[in-house]
Amino acid sequence: MAMNLNTAPASELPPRSTRGMAGWMHANLFSSRFNSILTVAFGVALAAALWFGLRWIFLAADWTLISTLGGRFIIGQYNAESACPGSNCFWRPQAVLLLFTVLMGMAWGITGRGVVKQVAIATAAAAAAFTFLPYSLDRMGLDVRLLLVANLPALAVGWGLARYTPLGTARRTAILGGSAFLLALVLLRGLPGVPGLQPVSVIYWGGLMLNLLLAVSGIMFSLPIGIALALGRRGQLPVVKLLCVAFIEIFRGVPLITLLFMSQVLVPLAFPENFPQDSLFRAAVVITLFSAAYMAENIRGGLQALHPGQVEAARALGLPSWQTTLLISLPQAIRNVIPAIVGQFISLFKDTSLVYIIGMLDLVAIGRSFIQGNTEFLDNALELFVFLALVFWVFTCSMSYVSRGIERNLGVGER
Amino acid sequence: MTTIEEPADIEIEVEDIIVCRDVHKWYGDFHALRGITTTIKRGEVVVAFGPSGSGKSTFIRTINKLEEHQRGDIIVNGIELTNDVRNIDAIRRDVGMVFQSFNLFPHLTVMSNITLAPIKVRKMPAARAKDNALELLKRVGIAEQSDKYPNELSGGQQQRVAIARALAMQPNIMLFDEPTSALDPEMIKEVLDVMRELVTSGMTMIVVSHEMEFARQVANRMMMFDAGLIVEEGPPEQIFEAPKSDRTKLFLSQIL
Repeated sequence: MAMNLNTAPASELPPRSTRGMAGWMHANLFSSRFNSILTVAFGVALAAALWFGLRWIFLAADWTLISTLGGRFIIGQYNAESACPGSNCFWRPQAVLLLFTVLMGMAWGITGRGVVKQVAIATAAAAAAFTFLPYSLDRMGLDVRLLLVANLPALAVGWGLARYTPLGTARRTAILGGSAFLLALVLLRGLPGVPGLQPVSVIYWGGLMLNLLLAVSGIMFSLPIGIALALGRRGQLPVVKLLCVAFIEIFRGVPLITLLFMSQVLVPLAFPENFPQDSLFRAAVVITLFSAAYMAENIRGGLQALHPGQVEAARALGLPSWQTTLLISLPQAIRNVIPAIVGQFISLFKDTSLVYIIGMLDLVAIGRSFIQGNTEFLDNALELFVFLALVFWVFTCSMSYVSRGIERNLGVGER
Repeated sequence: MTTIEEPADIEIEVEDIIVCRDVHKWYGDFHALRGITTTIKRGEVVVAFGPSGSGKSTFIRTINKLEEHQRGDIIVNGIELTNDVRNIDAIRRDVGMVFQSFNLFPHLTVMSNITLAPIKVRKMPAARAKDNALELLKRVGIAEQSDKYPNELSGGQQQRVAIARALAMQPNIMLFDEPTSALDPEMIKEVLDVMRELVTSGMTMIVVSHEMEFARQVANRMMMFDAGLIVEEGPPEQIFEAPKSDRTKLFLSQIL
């Protein structure tokens, strides 16, 4: 009897009991008596939590505190009469937001699709939606509302810039992003003598704007500083290595709150009395350096996990050691530790609320101080903190969502 | 082929592309190379073999200074291997290397793997580097894979890309460190075929390998390594038919 050796047996479907909804439930929820009991118990607990949670949210809770504070959650005291006497400064944070939206549009235009597109659209839509929020700030006029709605066309402008002009490369967008950050600081800080740009002292900056400014500057600078520290620690130069280790161990070994406090109390003593003092700048530096110390160790972990053959292959091709690091080691090391890096970014974002210790009114501190100053809201602390938790959660959750998307996109080149 | 009696007296002739005199290498206290003296001529194909830990891989890795030797001299293409970085980089540009585990760059496409060094080190214009790379990929038989990432290729294909990557720097010497020992049997042949083609092009090659059939066909000379020394070297006929050293006889009887 002739046998055809080239024909493999026809592939079959898996057994019926492991397929479909019923199969899945049987395998995962009710595979044994004990598991069935656990499933039912957790089901009941979940239903109860949902029932009481939703009842509280929609019936028991009093959310007037949130709408009363309104825009102050976002910009703090920035537009208060004492901060911006005699004129309206509200348009300046809005202009910064517009700048950011244009950049998001450009990022979307470059990457084309995926998580960047989703986040860009979500950002612009959320910004535009703020137009319809009940602002308590009576100085929010039609101009400010128009600026908020303008985030939608701004997104399109950014997308168009990236698609149809020579600006549409990752490098140029990054440079633009850095310049936009500086421009944003100038806009918020103001320029003496320029009409419409009267200086607003940093003590009035607050709310979510403050958290985001500290987080963005921290993220922008802690990654390159962390990379430099990691390379220094792994390098051949003993003095550089010692300095890097000392820096990392000191900044990791001291609580951030202590560092922030020292930056406000001790650092000014080191400078002459009339030296320009900027508490926000010092706080930003401390948060950045603190984060960079952790970042350095993450990156170092990624570098250590690299197969030594990668460096050998690059060196054998005649690449000098700095190019080997820049083109071969670092790109692979960083992509291997993206989850750890994003984890550090998330932690940094949450840590920005610690600036309350040096008297800055960030998102959390604004709410707390408002309750302390308006005793009729003392009973609404739970509503306040549930709301604050939700705001932080939305941001951190988007960050890990973007991170997962980047990991997926980079997966093509994985080992 | 001449045997070298007195290392200090030899003169380097033009066709001597690699000259090693009394090369020693230690890993900590372990004496890995115990005085390697040999000369390899332009266009020669040398197959090094021997038990594991005998120093054959260490030896070829000292030739482009992936390992540093602590005593003796190595002269490659007229340049002496010293600690001078310029010399090391000049030699590495001249010596291509293929590794057992391929060591392709996983974050770059096949094309970028090949064009990276010519563009960055040789300052070749990108378009020309690409043309060259396509030419080389055709030569190793996988031109259609140029836009893929290394992990999308089979082991044999990856090793052929690695060979193309080394050739893109237009080296005078190619070192192969057990190029087929991480491959499935059906992929070994495709890599050996590429190497055979390279032999006919006149490339100087040092191959660490236990592919004895391949050695018998293409090697001008074989070197048996044991305990950090070349215990015997000679043309394949001599090594296979009339080995002089007992150590060689024993080793060959175990692997053939």
